[in-house]
Amino acid sequence: MEVRNVDNASAPPPSPAPSSKQPKPPPNPVDTASVSQRLQKELMALMMSGDTGVSAFPEGENIFSWIGTIEGSKGTPYEGLSYKLSLKFPLDYPFKPPLVKFETPCFHPNIDQCGNICLDILQEMWSSAYDCRTILLSIQSLLGEPNNESPLNCYAATLWSNQEDYKKMVHKQYSSGGEALES
Amino acid sequence: MLWDPEALDSLDDAAIGDVLQSWASFCDCTDALLCGRGDLSAGADLVPLVAALCGYGLCSLVQDHFLHSLEELFKSNAVLKFWKHFDAFSDASKLGTTDFQENWTEEVLSKSLEEICLEKHYQEKCLLMLVHALQSYDESITDEKMKIQDYRSSLTSKYQLMVSSILLTTVPMHFPEILRSYFKEKLEELSNMMAVGHEEDGCEFQFNNNGLGQPSQRPTGVGEMDIDTCYCGSTFAKNNTLVNNIGKVVCDLRNLGFTSMTEDAYASSILLLLKDKVHDLAGDDYRTPVLGSIKDWIQAVPLQFLHALLVYLGDSPAQDDESSGLKSPLASSPSYPGIEMPSEGLVRWQLRLEYFAYETLQDLRIGKLFEIIVDYPESSPAIEDLKQCLEYTGQHSKLVDSFISSLRYRLLTAGASTNDILHQYVSTIKALRTIDPTGVFLEAVGEPIRDYLRRRKDTIKCIVTMLTDGSGGNSTGAGNSGDSLLEELNRDAENQESADYDDDTNLDDKQAWINAERWEPDPVEADTSKGSRNRRKIDILGMIVGIIGSKDQLVNEYRVMLAEKLLNKSDYDIDSEIRTLELLKIHFGEGSMQKCEIMLNDLIDSKRTNANIKASILQPPAPGSEQEETCLSLDHLDSTIISSNFWPTIQAESLNIPTAVEQLLSDYARRFHEIKTPRKLLWKKNLGTVKVRDSWGLLELQFEDRSMQFTVSPMHAVIIMQFQEQTSWTSKNLAAAIGVPIETLNKRINFWISKGVLAESVGSDSDNHIFTIVSDMVDPNKTGINNTRCEGILAMDEECERSVASVEEQLRKEMTVYEKFIVGMLTNFGSMTLDRIHNTLKMFCVAEPSYDKSLQQLQSFLSGLISEEKLEMREGLYVLKK
Repeated sequence: MEVRNVDNASAPPPSPAPSSKQPKPPPNPVDTASVSQRLQKELMALMMSGDTGVSAFPEGENIFSWIGTIEGSKGTPYEGLSYKLSLKFPLDYPFKPPLVKFETPCFHPNIDQCGNICLDILQEMWSSAYDCRTILLSIQSLLGEPNNESPLNCYAATLWSNQEDYKKMVHKQYSSGGEALES
Repeated sequence: MLWDPEALDSLDDAAIGDVLQSWASFCDCTDALLCGRGDLSAGADLVPLVAALCGYGLCSLVQDHFLHSLEELFKSNAVLKFWKHFDAFSDASKLGTTDFQENWTEEVLSKSLEEICLEKHYQEKCLLMLVHALQSYDESITDEKMKIQDYRSSLTSKYQLMVSSILLTTVPMHFPEILRSYFKEKLEELSNMMAVGHEEDGCEFQFNNNGLGQPSQRPTGVGEMDIDTCYCGSTFAKNNTLVNNIGKVVCDLRNLGFTSMTEDAYASSILLLLKDKVHDLAGDDYRTPVLGSIKDWIQAVPLQFLHALLVYLGDSPAQDDESSGLKSPLASSPSYPGIEMPSEGLVRWQLRLEYFAYETLQDLRIGKLFEIIVDYPESSPAIEDLKQCLEYTGQHSKLVDSFISSLRYRLLTAGASTNDILHQYVSTIKALRTIDPTGVFLEAVGEPIRDYLRRRKDTIKCIVTMLTDGSGGNSTGAGNSGDSLLEELNRDAENQESADYDDDTNLDDKQAWINAERWEPDPVEADTSKGSRNRRKIDILGMIVGIIGSKDQLVNEYRVMLAEKLLNKSDYDIDSEIRTLELLKIHFGEGSMQKCEIMLNDLIDSKRTNANIKASILQPPAPGSEQEETCLSLDHLDSTIISSNFWPTIQAESLNIPTAVEQLLSDYARRFHEIKTPRKLLWKKNLGTVKVRDSWGLLELQFEDRSMQFTVSPMHAVIIMQFQEQTSWTSKNLAAAIGVPIETLNKRINFWISKGVLAESVGSDSDNHIFTIVSDMVDPNKTGINNTRCEGILAMDEECERSVASVEEQLRKEMTVYEKFIVGMLTNFGSMTLDRIHNTLKMFCVAEPSYDKSLQQLQSFLSGLISEEKLEMREGLYVLKK
């Protein structure tokens, strides 16, 4: 993830929303303390929300780097699987979106082999009104409702129509990742 | 001079004949001598015969034969007779009849002893004849003086050995018992004699005319001192005959080889007597010290007895000077009245007896330690005694074990109230502090109590109550332990001041040296894992706080209680609270009591603000339409303005207040805002008290002939005010009008029903009761009955009417937050160690309520979650249970 660095606008290939607009540079100097305070609040809200299926927690001592967990919703090919994500918050958060990546390999039209996610609110549609919880919930719903028109993973997009085979692929990819993670 | 077979071979027939003849006559002579019953004339014949036989080298044979005949005779005559005397006793003891033993043992024993001793004496004489014969033979052949002595000592010692071995091998089972009972009787007699002596002494009885002729009799008018000495002398003289009798018996017994048995017997009976005495003196009375009187008694009875005995037996160095030992009490040293110079044996006996007394008393007291501590301040003499005993015996561990087990059995049970346990704990601390100032044993004893208390939920509450509720009459109520904690707080404050003083004045070298010299090592039982520094000072409050674990919890609980108390005050009188707070501040530090201080300051501020607002009414009031009414009402309104950030969470409960009051409140708030801009007042409408008076015109409407006055919570007032407009309400409508849930209403309205003001009737709907105001005069008797019946309900009502969220509720709330966090982190990290969870919580759970628990608290919380099947523990790692 260090390779990709902050600039996540360059990575996504054609996405459903117009992606020309770059996020504006922060208008005021970075105030780390207030950022961590905001993240602290988000963490509290997330913990107290009681949402099932999404969760995240700061990794190690750094509150700018979180680990997230998303469980596949019922009725989707992802049911019963739980995916690990990494969330990197920029220092000028919430003026810029966090960098969110799947750590567990995920077979999905809008997620590439490296785990990069193509989701408008994580790029040009980002607003500081979003928070960690909404991001996670959006990603969770993206799993069940892929945007097949601008796929990162074309094979997945084409296979989507065949739910039976699609599910097999999802599990295959998931278990390979599971082994990789465990090793 | 051994018998020599070769010598025998070399003898010729004539010599053999001579030997045989001599031997036969020697045997006859021996028999004649021994059976002669006091006739020693046959002894003269012995000399030539012995000489003849010895001439043939048969000296040892002579001796053996003689001794053998003595033995046979002694066995057949004396011993059998001797034991026969005691057969009756064994029968008696078997039958269990005690009455006829009264003086029986004494008579029988002395008589039989006399008999057997006579027999023995006679035999000894006979033996001496033989010795004489042998000796004269020796003299005839040689001049060696040495031999003579040899015969005598070897033969007598052989004889002595023979006598005692015969007796010891034939001694019947009950003989030691007889001896014991004999000595017991005698000692009791002696003890009684002494007791009488004491009484006489106590009555200042003059011994001048008792005619016992003690030499210390002085001219009259000498004074008290003289009476003492007279008493010693006279009792002693009385004792003398008794002791002489006993001495003779002991002497005879020793003579017969019963030395150790005798000593055992009288030692055991003395100890038994001592034990009885200790039990008698100490008993169940813990309010008088007994150690002193026990010691006195040891001096007075057993030691006197032993002294006399030892003197009689000639073991004492004072033996040569018989008269001075017994008859010059004036010369007595203070520690041994009547005994001039204590012999070593006597000193040993004294130490032995005292040790035994200490041990007996100690065991007695330890067994009853629980009771002693229950009435501690009164029972301090017993504690003091026990302390001294333990210093001698050093059996502190016995105390600890026994006390802990009795604590477990009697105190740490579900039936004991937390208050009682705490009081006992405080008493234990105080009592054991006396016994062992280093506090090592206290630590051991206190541990189970603390452990137990920690498991009780109301411990903190009780402690805080004990700390704060001592305001009334603490100078007089020494018995009330509730006071004593506050007292302790007081004392602690004083100590602290003086300690500070000590620290400030730098210790000069001399002082340091003195301190160093005073150092004592910890008792061996000390637990080395705990540092010895903090053990030095036993501080009751510290130990109490130690139960809870941290002072923060205590302070928190105190804050809640204080808030409750302050909110229920209708006046602003908080002097006693201020005093308590100051004391607590000294103990716990300013910082931790800061919030409480702010609460008290709020009260003081409220008083001032309230006065200001009232004053502002007197000035031309702000434009307002209903001046009259408001002014009138504002007089009846006092407010407590609190800085809610510093107060414990206050339970909010919404209710609709009647418009008149609402106006009044907002008017008050407006005035407050004027005085204290930019601050605004936010009413907590459900708190406080309302005095319902006839001036409110509420109850007057219905009861013209009586006025009632209640002090109630606003909720109750609001309920009753609704009946001003409408005499009958259904519970649903009423609840809607007031703006509270029906359950709350039903709970609260019970108050008025119980007071006989409202009546309840079941309406069409079973849930929808109808309440009507009671318009008729209620029969006063009936109300009385009602009132008592409803006390219980009221008490229950008040229980759930707490205005401040209790500590437990707060804790539960905090713990839910932590639980969510823990679940959150485990979802993302999979598994975590205890340390990591702890650190993560510390780092990220910083918002209110921030994480401030210890690792141990977290661990117990986590094990709680495990038992709720929310978590699992795998190889030291916590994981979510799926």
